[in-house]
Amino acid sequence: MAVVERPRSGSDLSSVINDERYRSIFYQILVFGTVFAIAAFLVNNTLTNMAAQGKAAGFDFLLGTAGFAIAWTPLDYKPVDSYLFVYWVGIVNTLIISGISIVLTTILGFVIGILRLSKNWLIGQIAAWYVEVLRNTPLLLQIIFWYLGAFANLPRPKQSVELFGADWLILNNRGLYFPNAEFGELFWLTAVGMLISVVAAIWYNKRAIKQQLETGVYVPIWWKILVILIGLPLAIFLVTGMPLSWELPVLKGFNFQGGTFILPAMCSVLVALVIYHSAYVAEMVRAGIMSVSHGQTEAAYSLGLRPSWTMRLVIIPQAMRAIIPPMISLWMNVVKNSSLAIAIGFPDLVNVFMQTSLNQSGHAIEIVAMVMLFYMTVSLTISACLNVYNKKILLTER
Amino acid sequence: MADAPMTSGGLLVFKPKPSLPPPPATTGVIGWMRFNLFDGIYSSVTTVIGVLLIGYIAIGFYEWAFVRAVWEASSRNECRISPTEFGTCWAGVEFWFTRFIYGRYPDAEIWRIDLAALIFVLWMAPLWLPRVTAKVIVGLSAVMVFPFLAGYLFLGGERNWFMAIMVALSLTWFIGTMVHVAICLVTNQGLGRWIIQATGFASRDDRLQKYPIIILSLIAYFVVYFLVADWQTVEVVPNQWGGLFLTLVISGVGIASALPIGIVLALGRRSQMPVVRVLCVAFIELFRSVPLITILFMATTMFPLFLPKGVVFNNLASVIVAVCLFSAAYMAETVRGGLQAISRGQYEAAEAMGLSYWQSMGLIVMPQALKLMIPNIVGSFIGLLKDTTLVSIIGLYDLLGMINAVSQDPQWIGLHHEPLFTAAVLYFVACLAMSKYSQHLERKLGAGDRR
Repeated sequence: MAVVERPRSGSDLSSVINDERYRSIFYQILVFGTVFAIAAFLVNNTLTNMAAQGKAAGFDFLLGTAGFAIAWTPLDYKPVDSYLFVYWVGIVNTLIISGISIVLTTILGFVIGILRLSKNWLIGQIAAWYVEVLRNTPLLLQIIFWYLGAFANLPRPKQSVELFGADWLILNNRGLYFPNAEFGELFWLTAVGMLISVVAAIWYNKRAIKQQLETGVYVPIWWKILVILIGLPLAIFLVTGMPLSWELPVLKGFNFQGGTFILPAMCSVLVALVIYHSAYVAEMVRAGIMSVSHGQTEAAYSLGLRPSWTMRLVIIPQAMRAIIPPMISLWMNVVKNSSLAIAIGFPDLVNVFMQTSLNQSGHAIEIVAMVMLFYMTVSLTISACLNVYNKKILLTER
Repeated sequence: MADAPMTSGGLLVFKPKPSLPPPPATTGVIGWMRFNLFDGIYSSVTTVIGVLLIGYIAIGFYEWAFVRAVWEASSRNECRISPTEFGTCWAGVEFWFTRFIYGRYPDAEIWRIDLAALIFVLWMAPLWLPRVTAKVIVGLSAVMVFPFLAGYLFLGGERNWFMAIMVALSLTWFIGTMVHVAICLVTNQGLGRWIIQATGFASRDDRLQKYPIIILSLIAYFVVYFLVADWQTVEVVPNQWGGLFLTLVISGVGIASALPIGIVLALGRRSQMPVVRVLCVAFIELFRSVPLITILFMATTMFPLFLPKGVVFNNLASVIVAVCLFSAAYMAETVRGGLQAISRGQYEAAEAMGLSYWQSMGLIVMPQALKLMIPNIVGSFIGLLKDTTLVSIIGLYDLLGMINAVSQDPQWIGLHHEPLFTAAVLYFVACLAMSKYSQHLERKLGAGDRR
């Protein structure tokens, strides 16, 4: 058998392009060289321009005094604090607003998605139009709409609205006020009790499932779990003398004092983010449930499962596989989209750091890099979680 | 036999009675309602709640939009329906509507935007006519060649040599396309074939047949070039662009450039060469993991630093570059999804046929992948159209920016809700139409794959 060798001609220049072995290296060097040249050109221009403007690059400015107030933060920030602290305040605000939005949007989205599949035609249509209207209008427009249409027109503190008729949930043009929990000395015991009861409930549930698998006898345990979950912490709470009190918001002079409040802008952003993304979650839930073949439902029925059990034990577990990966990237989108809060002045990371701090200090490159670093960290973390999850479902597949 | 009529010729014949009509409660409107609205107690209750909800919203909307409407007014003050209350000031929307569409573009020059839109529609329309041939070329040229003509129409002013060449090329191409479409509709064959036949080259050697086409194109090009050489329009600086027009310019350029860059990035990401792969992955992941608004801020604050001395980028150009990079990164992932859906067998078959990398990509893989990607591409265009509202945050007057400008105008101060509603309707109609069309296209293109 004759092995045909490719003619080697190292000295010939055309072999660099035509020979597979060298071609790949040649192209890589070419690409890298081009990118490097462009980068060098940009860096060079930047350095020249900065020198011409008399600016120096560096992160020293971070320790300088920020000097501006931030309208809302749970942290103890004062205008005399540094830019670094402003960065931290921005991160915390962004994480708070996106965390709350993620939880609420997932719940609301599931409800709408299941309503959309309802056998009732009218409900299905209402849910479908909800999804269409919200997905086909820009989020920024929705945020502005909620702000100008609802939360900017609220009455002054003297004419505050009491939500649901409760005098501890107060809405006015300064924000939404609700009571602040003040924990007593022994409250940590109740917290520990809660933790123990959750662990106990999980263990008990697992045991019940194991028992059912072994004996085939189904024992309803949900009320026992409820007793464990509520009873134990409640007992500890009562025994330790109820170490929890609520600090209520009270009208004093022109404004409410006490309690916790969130700005109208924050309410608008929350409502807009939750409602906008819930439409996407609804679509994912619907698509996930539809992706489970109808044969599964029929098989479950023929085994004698009730419709509610069929949904819980057969359909939802399989649908989750299709729902969770897009859901996680949607959560990432919520974090990114919370940056639109800047349009109505909620002090998130982009607002306090990329706008106010950047305009004041003029350190564009450093600040842009820091903000992007934060968002990249969040999104890489989330996608790492997604990869772990994907590996897990791949393993449990056939 | 007692029942003699049942037999004929000694055979027993079975005569069924005519079937009864279905019970009235299962057919028609009542039956439909029973199954879909009042199927059990839960269903009935939810239906009632649904009807109440719709009624509440509809009545509220009717009252706001019609009962309290003021149609004739020249300032917001005249929109009062009582000394303390403002009516729904549709007069303001009417007054500002041209601005919503064209921004602060001079009134006398608006025809240029309309003309460009008309040319674009005419250019794209043949794609929907079944008898037209060479649709790929028509579609591609509408995306690649038309922007030069549109850009000149929008911007105006003096043309440098490059723009002079491109505008003439673009115009020639447009005229050629229109002639091509007309000939297709009449004779069922393309412009090229028709020229070959009309000039009598059809009987000549195949290799000679391209010459009449080339010569005629060159003649047409030079005629157009000299005809429009002196044609000039007033310059309109980009600062005056705005409204829906600006929204469409930004998202149109964004999506048109996103597709080629995205394809290159996606191929790079799947490449065997580590350097290329790492660079592409880094670019895609960087731009996908940060919000668009940070990229826009980066564009407006950092691009001026990147440029050499003397080169000045206006805000619009920076924004368009940023949007292109952003949407290219997303498009790369869409393309990658499409490429992954093509089975390995296709790649191997292409290789076995002896096709080179670019041939197998261009002739085998991409045509199949692009078909699969259409819904996602339309989806990203809808996303981009919605995302361009963000440019209003950095001070451009797109549709949303114009709407915010209305409420700051001294005459119409505080007029928020009606313009916002108008914009929402505009966006909703545009996005819904596109998504419905892409679903239709998906069904149409997928017809061959369905069993």
